Amino acid sequence: MRKVHAFFWLVLWLLPPAQGYAAQTQARLVLAAEAARPGETILAAVQLRMPPHWHTYWKNAGDVGMPTTIEWTLPKGVSAGEILWPVPEKYSSDDQTQYIYNNEVFLLVPLSLAADAPNGPTELKAKVAWLECEEMGLCIPGKSEVAASLTIGPASKPSKEAAAIEAWQKRLPQRRKDIDARAIWEQPASGDSRALVIEWTKFTQADKADFFPGPSEDFLVKPAAEQLPADSGKVRLRKVVEKLSGDWPKEIAGLLVEGPDESPSACEVTLPIAGAGRTVAAVTGKKLWGMLGLAFVGGLILNIMPCVLPVIALKILGFVNQAQQSPGKVRKLGLIYTVGVLVSFGVLAGIVIGLQQAGRAASWGMQFQNPAFLIAMTILVALVAMNLFGLFEINLGGSAMGAAGELASKGGAVGAFFNGVLATVLATPCTAPFLAVALGFAFAQPPAIIMLIFLLAGLGLAAPYLILSFQPGWLRFLPRPGAWMERFKVLMGFPMLATAVWLFTLTSAHLGKSGTLWFGFFLVALAVASWIWGEFVQRGTQRQPLAVATSILLVIGFGAYVLTRAPDQIQWQPWSAAAVEKARVEGRPVFVDFTADWCVTCQANKRTSIEIPAVRAKLKEVNAVALLADYTRYDDAITAELKRYERAGVPLVLVYPKDPAAAPVVLPTVLTPSMVLEALDRAANEGNREDDRPKEVQKSASKTE
Amino acid sequence: MLMKKILLSLSAFALATAMATADAEVGKSAPDFSVKDISGKTHQLSDYKGKVVVLESYNLDCPFVANHYNSGAIQELQKETTGKGIVWLSVNSSYPDAAKAKKEFEAKKIKATALLHDPKGTIGKTYGFKTTPHMIIIDKEGVVAYNGAIDDKAVTEGDPREARNYVREAVGKLATGGNVSVARTKPYGCGVKYAN
Repeated sequence: MRKVHAFFWLVLWLLPPAQGYAAQTQARLVLAAEAARPGETILAAVQLRMPPHWHTYWKNAGDVGMPTTIEWTLPKGVSAGEILWPVPEKYSSDDQTQYIYNNEVFLLVPLSLAADAPNGPTELKAKVAWLECEEMGLCIPGKSEVAASLTIGPASKPSKEAAAIEAWQKRLPQRRKDIDARAIWEQPASGDSRALVIEWTKFTQADKADFFPGPSEDFLVKPAAEQLPADSGKVRLRKVVEKLSGDWPKEIAGLLVEGPDESPSACEVTLPIAGAGRTVAAVTGKKLWGMLGLAFVGGLILNIMPCVLPVIALKILGFVNQAQQSPGKVRKLGLIYTVGVLVSFGVLAGIVIGLQQAGRAASWGMQFQNPAFLIAMTILVALVAMNLFGLFEINLGGSAMGAAGELASKGGAVGAFFNGVLATVLATPCTAPFLAVALGFAFAQPPAIIMLIFLLAGLGLAAPYLILSFQPGWLRFLPRPGAWMERFKVLMGFPMLATAVWLFTLTSAHLGKSGTLWFGFFLVALAVASWIWGEFVQRGTQRQPLAVATSILLVIGFGAYVLTRAPDQIQWQPWSAAAVEKARVEGRPVFVDFTADWCVTCQANKRTSIEIPAVRAKLKEVNAVALLADYTRYDDAITAELKRYERAGVPLVLVYPKDPAAAPVVLPTVLTPSMVLEALDRAANEGNREDDRPKEVQKSASKTE
Repeated sequence: MLMKKILLSLSAFALATAMATADAEVGKSAPDFSVKDISGKTHQLSDYKGKVVVLESYNLDCPFVANHYNSGAIQELQKETTGKGIVWLSVNSSYPDAAKAKKEFEAKKIKATALLHDPKGTIGKTYGFKTTPHMIIIDKEGVVAYNGAIDDKAVTEGDPREARNYVREAVGKLATGGNVSVARTKPYGCGVKYAN
């Protein structure tokens, strides 16, 4: 029988190619009842019987194909619901995936009879259209008009098809209220494709699981499902979602599938997508107001943080002088200072928004992971401290206005503006108590709210100054201007110096031991240069050019010298499979760090166990190539590599032995220096694995090679 | 530096994955190819630099494609676009020899610039053609500007002129120097077949 069929289809194949193939699938309309009462709902089914090796499609056809459609012509009082689709089969060939029905399918449709449906025999009609495709890819569209009769009356009576329909009902996906499932974006939005993790509590004993996405217009769910390690009794799948147009989807509908391809069990779900990054639930107005309040208070508190207090305190003291001058001008300067603060906070918010739009995780204080920023801040704060100590004066913007410490200056508009900028820049290291909550909230919000919260925090920071510029009278309790102000200025230099010391220690994580030492020496040279500048250029009258030259030379010369002594960091090269291959061919061990800026564990590993002198020395000793795979942005090649090592994500640290045939060693997720050092030792000695000589001997042997 | 990065990641990708189907991503530069058409003339993408190029995956045996050709709608679109100096390359990968495609080209009065003979899928696999018809539009700078379906009606019958034609839209935008508003859609149709 099978052979006859096969022969028949072979003949059909050989027929001259034309559009004239007739569809071979047979369509029929069957009803679960012969007779039904008004008000009842009965099940109808469009039965499609496909020839062997041909299939029709599910509601999401997959990469190719077309879902079957049913267009009803119903008598008065009868209405049809949506098609209930039995669980399809996932069929993949080449790199195309289709969700199909083989042999036969019943597409079930509930028909509701209205309470006032007229009694008597009626005929139900439908136009069915489908695409039938053969395994090799040949497709033929088919359509058929189908009909069935039903008697509406006082009694209901099942039809002889009722049993078959009931059997197909069992093949529908379950709709369970108790299903425990969730969908989460794995990373913030980045480009047009994004990994989605779907997790649920198993409803069968099967190990194999999949997710069949429902039809979607604006995005595509890639058919490949990667099963991730999960707690017992749970399933975790990673699916890649590709965005076609519009925003990222907020929810995803489809089937949670368990069991073998031939007879899977499935649950139909619509899951809201929770998200890394910008996908957030709507904010209630009340909560937003609360957060805005916190942002303002937090900004206000920034004023008394050690990094800001000196600048602000001194600036406010400036009023003691200015208030006696022109109130109008003071008010104007207060406003300009506020604008300076707000613009700076606006810029910060813009950076955060930009980073998020680019798919990078942003956080308050993230700039402190950037060594260049840390070094620049340390230098700036140290200079401000030197200034407060009176080593030199600062003239911002070229006009004769006072900056941070200049009490008696007249103060120009540009100066006031930059004072605002300076206050903001100095404020960034200090996360005041309330501000942390508000900013933490802001970072998960849409751009407009991020901006609003930042501006409110800025307003908080500017508030005391602004208020006092309008009410200088409130400063009456302060002593008259005098020599005490000069002393106060020097006093304020100390918290500033403390801030500089704190920032300085932060740089040590990046600079290493000797790098930190040399940076410290550089700061001292800078202090000397600023003193020369203040003493001989600003206050001196003679040999000014010489002093200028000396101080500039001191800074540049010493800076350049320090740079040549720059910290020896691991000479990372960008990771690629080709780079690994190349190094292995050369017989060198390879150290690969799969990492990302947003991965806290990776950064911890790097600090504690990778970017440390012992490992640097070991890498040099064993002549290893260090490759860095940066997964901060989504990357297909890295994703594939992580998958190969069955990792859900970074960190992943691999050590390839120098023997090109040996498999790489996968290091644990959380590293200690000894793990890394031992792995590197072994990698260097893997060349002769049968060798039983003790490690020490092997090491010296490999050195002499 | 960027170029080097691209090259590195490309080679890494090719090595790392067995199924190295690099799709033509919107906004990325379109990979070059050199393929003969049904009359033996060689077409190289880089020859068309400075012109908008439309790539169409073609298989007349596919009922979706057939509907576009039997209704004459796609020929009109081909005529309209090539008349504006746009290059329209139909890519046929399903026949081992060019004779059948040549017959179809005449019988259906196809108005494409050329019907490329691509039995090995040189273009199809590089560009990641998913279906027939699958349309890819490359702008004058050689950057992929559209990737997806020909229109918004995945049907095998009816008049395609009534559908929203994404290709006509995109080509129109490109001609006036504008941005393609719908740059990515899900291609519909039959699976792409390769002769061998």
